[in-house]
Amino acid sequence: MSTFWRTFKVAAWLGWEMDSNWTEPWLFIIYSIVKPIAAVFILVLMYVVFAAIGNVRPQPLFDFMYVGNAFFIFVGSTLFGTFQVIQSDREWYQTIRYVYISPISFYVYVMGRAVSKIIVASFAVVITLAFGAFVLNPPVPITISWSAVPVFIVSFILGLFCLLAIGITLGGATFLMARHTQTIAEAVPGIFYVFCGVLFPLSVLPGGLSDVGKVIPLTYWFDLSRRLLLPSAELQGIQTGLGGFSDLTILAFLAISSVAFFGLSIAVFKAGEYLARKAGKIDMTTSY
Amino acid sequence: MREATVRRADLRFRLGLNLRSVVGRAYPRVIGANREPSWLIFEVFLPLLGIAAYVFIYQAFYQAQAAAICPSPCTPTPAQLLALHQAGQNLNALVATVVLGGTMVAFWLNVLWSMASQLYWEKEIGNLQLYMMAPMNRMALLGGMAIGGMFMTSVRALSTLVAGIVVFGVIFSVANPFLLLAVFFVTLIALYGMGMMFASLYLLWGREAWNLSALMEEPIFFSSGMYFPAGGLFSIPTWGPAVAIAGSIVPATFGLDALRQLTLPGTAPLPLLPPVTELEILLVLAVVFLVLARYTLAYLETLAKREGKLTSRHQ
Amino acid sequence: MPYAVETRDLTRIFAGKRHWLRKPDPEEVERGVGPTTALGGVTVQIPEGELFGLLGPNGAGKTTLIKILCTLLLPTSGEAFVAGHDVTKDVFPIRQRIGMVSGGETTGYGLLTARENIWMFSQFYGVPSKVAKERIDGLMKVFGLWDRRDAKVRTLSTGQRQKMNMVRGFATDPDILFLDEPTLGLDVNAARIIRDYVMKWLKENKGKTVLLTTHYMAEADEMCDRIAIIDNGKILACDTPENLKRTARMDTTFQLEVDALRNTDGFTAIPGVKNFSSKNDIGKNMTHLTFILDGEAPVADILSRIMSQGSKVHSLQKSEPTLEDVFIRMVGRGFE
Ligand SMILES: Nc1ncnc2c1ncn2[C@@H]1O[C@H](COP(=O)(O)OP(=O)(O)O)[C@@H](O)[C@H]1O
Ligand SMILES: [Mg+2]
Repeated sequence: MSTFWRTFKVAAWLGWEMDSNWTEPWLFIIYSIVKPIAAVFILVLMYVVFAAIGNVRPQPLFDFMYVGNAFFIFVGSTLFGTFQVIQSDREWYQTIRYVYISPISFYVYVMGRAVSKIIVASFAVVITLAFGAFVLNPPVPITISWSAVPVFIVSFILGLFCLLAIGITLGGATFLMARHTQTIAEAVPGIFYVFCGVLFPLSVLPGGLSDVGKVIPLTYWFDLSRRLLLPSAELQGIQTGLGGFSDLTILAFLAISSVAFFGLSIAVFKAGEYLARKAGKIDMTTSY
Repeated sequence: MREATVRRADLRFRLGLNLRSVVGRAYPRVIGANREPSWLIFEVFLPLLGIAAYVFIYQAFYQAQAAAICPSPCTPTPAQLLALHQAGQNLNALVATVVLGGTMVAFWLNVLWSMASQLYWEKEIGNLQLYMMAPMNRMALLGGMAIGGMFMTSVRALSTLVAGIVVFGVIFSVANPFLLLAVFFVTLIALYGMGMMFASLYLLWGREAWNLSALMEEPIFFSSGMYFPAGGLFSIPTWGPAVAIAGSIVPATFGLDALRQLTLPGTAPLPLLPPVTELEILLVLAVVFLVLARYTLAYLETLAKREGKLTSRHQ
Repeated sequence: MPYAVETRDLTRIFAGKRHWLRKPDPEEVERGVGPTTALGGVTVQIPEGELFGLLGPNGAGKTTLIKILCTLLLPTSGEAFVAGHDVTKDVFPIRQRIGMVSGGETTGYGLLTARENIWMFSQFYGVPSKVAKERIDGLMKVFGLWDRRDAKVRTLSTGQRQKMNMVRGFATDPDILFLDEPTLGLDVNAARIIRDYVMKWLKENKGKTVLLTTHYMAEADEMCDRIAIIDNGKILACDTPENLKRTARMDTTFQLEVDALRNTDGFTAIPGVKNFSSKNDIGKNMTHLTFILDGEAPVADILSRIMSQGSKVHSLQKSEPTLEDVFIRMVGRGFE
């Protein structure tokens, strides 16, 4: 256990150094906030424009989108961060081979490296939500009842863990597709953006596409987070396709799929490493 | 000096040298794309996801609006029918906005990636010093990178456009194709001029500049209205117009606004200026950026040479 | 006739690491993050046709000098001319005429073949495609890359990539070629091929000039017409290898192997000792000493000094002077 803790600590320190050493920490923090806030502004303006030319204000949909988008910041930073850690350690620093003695300690290492990203992301999420609740007019009605807090915390941790697992799965996959890293990094969040009910209810998707999200654990995470933070009645009118399930059932779905992804991530990572070693691609770099 | 070492430096030679350099530098990017055809799948299908997300947002809004106009089960009265038609047209214009924006984003990313951040990477692996000690013009080098990337980028842009029409059913109608083409190409030239200007920052700052351009991505998409009509910024009372004006320095702003007006005659939402005026502004921007790029490149190259930053530390 | 390369009092100081929006703290300056004088007043003149060697240990300033001459770095003060043009002002004619290959370098686009990579660079010099291709093919045969001509660079070994870079250096037919430690890390055969080709190229093409840096003594000795010994950014001597060794021959050189010595202070205080160097062989637990002496008289004093530390002398040998001895005489330490 103490080795785990030490690995974790060293990795967390390393993560912070790597993320922030290109500039002063305070600039780094601004950087980490400006980007997501600007992304939020794009959505706000989409809504403003629609309201202006259509003379309607579908406020509940905007609230839906606003909270979903705020939580999506975690996807960008945690998932992409994890994935990038693996990638950059492998290619740029070529240190990865000294780290993965076993998949479990590797997990701890990646978790440690992701910590600084998660903290900065949380900061950005809180700021985004606060902006919606206090600055926007009309405000996004964000509240949480005391009884919902435990569920929220459990769901939050499961969600992050899930993102980590997905990141590691992707990291394993890029052993074989090293040249496509950039595209994968762009594509996977894109898939989640569209299919997980982040910005719009899944019922908008045509035909069977709305079912795609139901096998991705993040869909449940977004839905549950939103239910807990936006309990007002009008929101319940939005057809999410998950309306039939209770909060706890959704939490159970999330838990089960997180565990499944944990297993999958270890398997894919090991397989990726093995196949890459077999193909002689393990220290391949992507220069082209 | 001896006869054998006399070298030509006349205009014709320089022109040839720079053209060869453009071709030489474009080559690896074109070949790279062809040697790894799997790129195509990634370049074509995946960017569509981002576009799709924005399109569905507008569709969700539209569905809410439609339900408000005529709650289901809907048997519309003529007045409701007219309102629904109007709403449908607005939706088409907004989806078209997203599709055009996605097309422009492809070029914008090529500008940033192929000309600017690529230099940082070239420096890290040690290619940059070999480029910088060669006699060709630096703009030829950057031009080569851009043109090389243009192949993939055009595929990406075109597929976005086609998907917009086929998958999302956007209806474009073009009344003045020449003006449209002029706007498009002038926008591209201005955009690439701007990219060259940014590229010079990379000579000096490397990683900082790389992070900076990553940082600027969303704010620029926002301020130049890639996914909504930039005119919408004027409906934000205090700071909206300021952002819109600042954003219009990026050539994509007026370029997209003109493209919207030229492909959606009459229905383009919240236009800024008449397309011809926008074309004139874009022409000015193109010239200014290209000239500025030339000087900033020369200036920052000297600065980088003075500070010892043109070459990577590890060499 | 102008020199191919000429520098006058060339100085380059690297400012320490600077921060955005923050002053460097004094502690960092102390740790050596502060200003470094990489070149401190270098004056050299290299006539056309010469193979000039720059010999010095790591960090001596060799690469810095080459970067300045290649128009990649500006001097802090002093002047430098390449092919008669000022490196700070007149870069185009210089760039047209120079080539540079540095030894550690293994760059190239992995997806392209070696041939395509070199071709790309030749285009930056305006070499017509057909000429470039012929030259590249010829050079690839010389450097033993012909079998691998169509292999993608990412499949080449480090040594092959280094050879590819040599081909790149020659393919643009430069008048002045800068070779920065061209054989660094190569095996004996590959290094041989490179050395032989450089000498042959110079012999067959009148008016070409090569500036070679190295920290291999034997390489400098074998190849160069003249050698400048550089240390800490200063040229300590500049002459033909023969003359350099001749100055050393006026001295007497002794090599000693003794039990590991803890204390080597005080040897220079012995009258007649011009300088010395010591190298510890940890494996054998011995110290290897090289003395540059004025005659043989001081040997007795040296021996008694060693034995007073309780150390045993295993061998004592008078030797022919090498370039390394020249270096030791001037700087008081060995080389590699
Ligand atoms: N970009 C730089 N910034 C700061 N110091 C540098 C830089 N490049 C070289 N130096 C320093 O200048 C000195 C000479 O370096 P260099 O010319 O690379 O030596 P050599 O090639 O002989 O090994 C060294 O002390 C090195 O640390
Ligand atoms: Mg060096």
